[in-house]
Amino acid sequence: MSLTTVLVVGIVASIFVGLNIGGSSTGIAWGPAVGAGIISKTLAAGLMTFFVFLGGWTVGRNVMDTLAGDIITIPISLESGVAVLFFIGLGILIANVFGVPVPTSMTTVGSIAGLGLATGTLNFETIGWIVSWWVVTPIIGFWVGGVIGRYLYPELNRRFEITTSEGPLLALDRRGTVPTPTLGPNTTRRELLTTVLVLIIGCYMAFSAGASNVPNAVAPLVSSGALEVNTAIAIATVAIGVGGFTIARRTMESVGTELSDIPLLAALIVMLTAATITTALSAIGIPISLVMAMVMTIVGLGWGRATRPVRVRDVRDVIRGDETAEIEPGALTADPNTPVRQIGEEEPREVREASDLFNPRAVIKYVSMWIIGPTVSLGLSYAFFVAFPFVG
Amino acid sequence: MISRVLVPMDKSEMAEHALRYALEAFPDAEITVFHVVGEPSALWGEAASLALADDIGQAAEEHASDVFDDARAIADEYDREIATDVQVGHPTRAILNAAEGFDTVVIGPHGGSLADRLLMGNVAETVFRRSPVPVTVVR
Repeated sequence: MSLTTVLVVGIVASIFVGLNIGGSSTGIAWGPAVGAGIISKTLAAGLMTFFVFLGGWTVGRNVMDTLAGDIITIPISLESGVAVLFFIGLGILIANVFGVPVPTSMTTVGSIAGLGLATGTLNFETIGWIVSWWVVTPIIGFWVGGVIGRYLYPELNRRFEITTSEGPLLALDRRGTVPTPTLGPNTTRRELLTTVLVLIIGCYMAFSAGASNVPNAVAPLVSSGALEVNTAIAIATVAIGVGGFTIARRTMESVGTELSDIPLLAALIVMLTAATITTALSAIGIPISLVMAMVMTIVGLGWGRATRPVRVRDVRDVIRGDETAEIEPGALTADPNTPVRQIGEEEPREVREASDLFNPRAVIKYVSMWIIGPTVSLGLSYAFFVAFPFVG
Repeated sequence: MISRVLVPMDKSEMAEHALRYALEAFPDAEITVFHVVGEPSALWGEAASLALADDIGQAAEEHASDVFDDARAIADEYDREIATDVQVGHPTRAILNAAEGFDTVVIGPHGGSLADRLLMGNVAETVFRRSPVPVTVVR
C-alpha cells in the first residue's frame, strides 16, 4: 500500500473519530441550553464549530504535543498512527453500540500507550503524569461541586432566578429612523442577562471541548509529520462540526432531557466548573475528557446539596468508609444517640432521602468504567502491535 | 393467602406485563405499584435534579406520575384500584427494602442497556435472589 493510500485511510478514520466527538461533545456543551429552549440546535452546532476550532487552534496544541510526541519516545509512524486511530474509533463504536460511556481522550492515550509498550518506547514519566491527573480530576470536580452544593447553592439559587418568558427575547424598535433592538414583549433585563450568560458558558464549554478533543482525532497522523498541525486541526474541526450539525441533534436531545430537570443555574455551575478544569488541564498538555469533570461535578453538587444540613462530623464518618451510614436532612434534630447502622443491615422502610441518590457503590461502578475503557484499548493496541510489529 | 402484592415497575413494556399478570393472578389482593426515581444514569441528571429540589418527596412524586398514571389506566381495565409508592435511589435496594412489607413480589425482567446493567446490575435477578418474600418474574 502506498503512503498516500495509507494517509487517505488515516484521514477517513480521523473524520470518523471527529464526527463522533462532535456528536457527543456538542450534546454535552449545548444540551442544557437547547433543552431549556434558549437556542436552536442549528445555532448551537454553529457556535460549537467555531469555538471548537478556537480551542483546538490555541490550547489544543499542548495536548497535541503530548499525544503526538510525549507518550512514546519515537514518532508514531503513519501506519501505526492509522492503526491507533482504528482503536480510538473502535472504542467510540463500542461506546455507541452498547451505550457505555467511554471517554475518547482516555481511549486515545490507552491506544498510543499500547503501541509504546509493544515497542518498548513508552515514556512512563509522561504516562504516570497523565494518569495521576486522571485520578485527581474527578476528585477536584466532586469537591468543587460538593462545596458549591453544600454551602453556596441555596444562596445563589435565591439570587439568580432564571426564567424564560413567552415571546421573542429581543424585538426591533422601528419608531426611530434606524431600527434598534429592544427587549422582547415579556423579556426582563435579568432574562436577557441570563440568556447571554448561558450562551457564553456554552461557548466556553465548546472551547474546552475543542482544546481537549481536537487532538484525539488527528494527533496519531501528526506525529509522523504526514499531516501538518494546522491542516490537522482544520480537518478535525470540520469533522467535529459536521458531527455537531448531524449526530448531535440526537445527543443534544438526550443530554438535554437527562439534564432538563436540573435547574439551569446548577447546569451552568457544572458547565463552568467542567470547562475550567478541562481547559486548565489541556493548557498543561494533559489529555482529559470534558465528560469526566462534568459527571463528577454533577455528583458533587447533588451530593453536597443533599447532605447540606448535616454536621461535618457526620459526613466525615460516612467518608471514612461506612457507606450505609445515613445522612439525613433531619440530622440536626435527630437523637445523637441513634446507633449508626452497620454494613448490610436493613434500612428502614420510609427512607426517601436525597443521600440515597448518590450511593457510593453505584458512583464507583460508574467511575470504574473510566478505568476499564483505557485499559481495554491499551490491551488491544499492545496485542495488535506485538502481533504486527510494523513500527518504523 | 396472598393479600399484599408489590409490583415494582420501570418505564418498560415488560413491567406492564408484570402488572397485568399480578392483577389476573391475585384478584383479591391489594396491589402496590412501586417505582424508583433518580436511579444511577450516565450523567446522574435525574439523581441530581431530585437532590437539588426543594421538596424531594414532591419532586419524586412528579417524576413517578407517568408510570403511576399508566399503571392506573391498566388497573382500570380490570376494574381495580392500586396503591402506589415511590422511592429514590438504587432500584434493587429500594425494592428489597420495600418487599419486607408484602407477601409477594411480581416483577418484569429488567430491560435497559448494557450500561444500565453495568451500573445497576440486573434488577429483577438480584431481587429474585435476595428478596425476603417469594418473587414471580413475568417474562
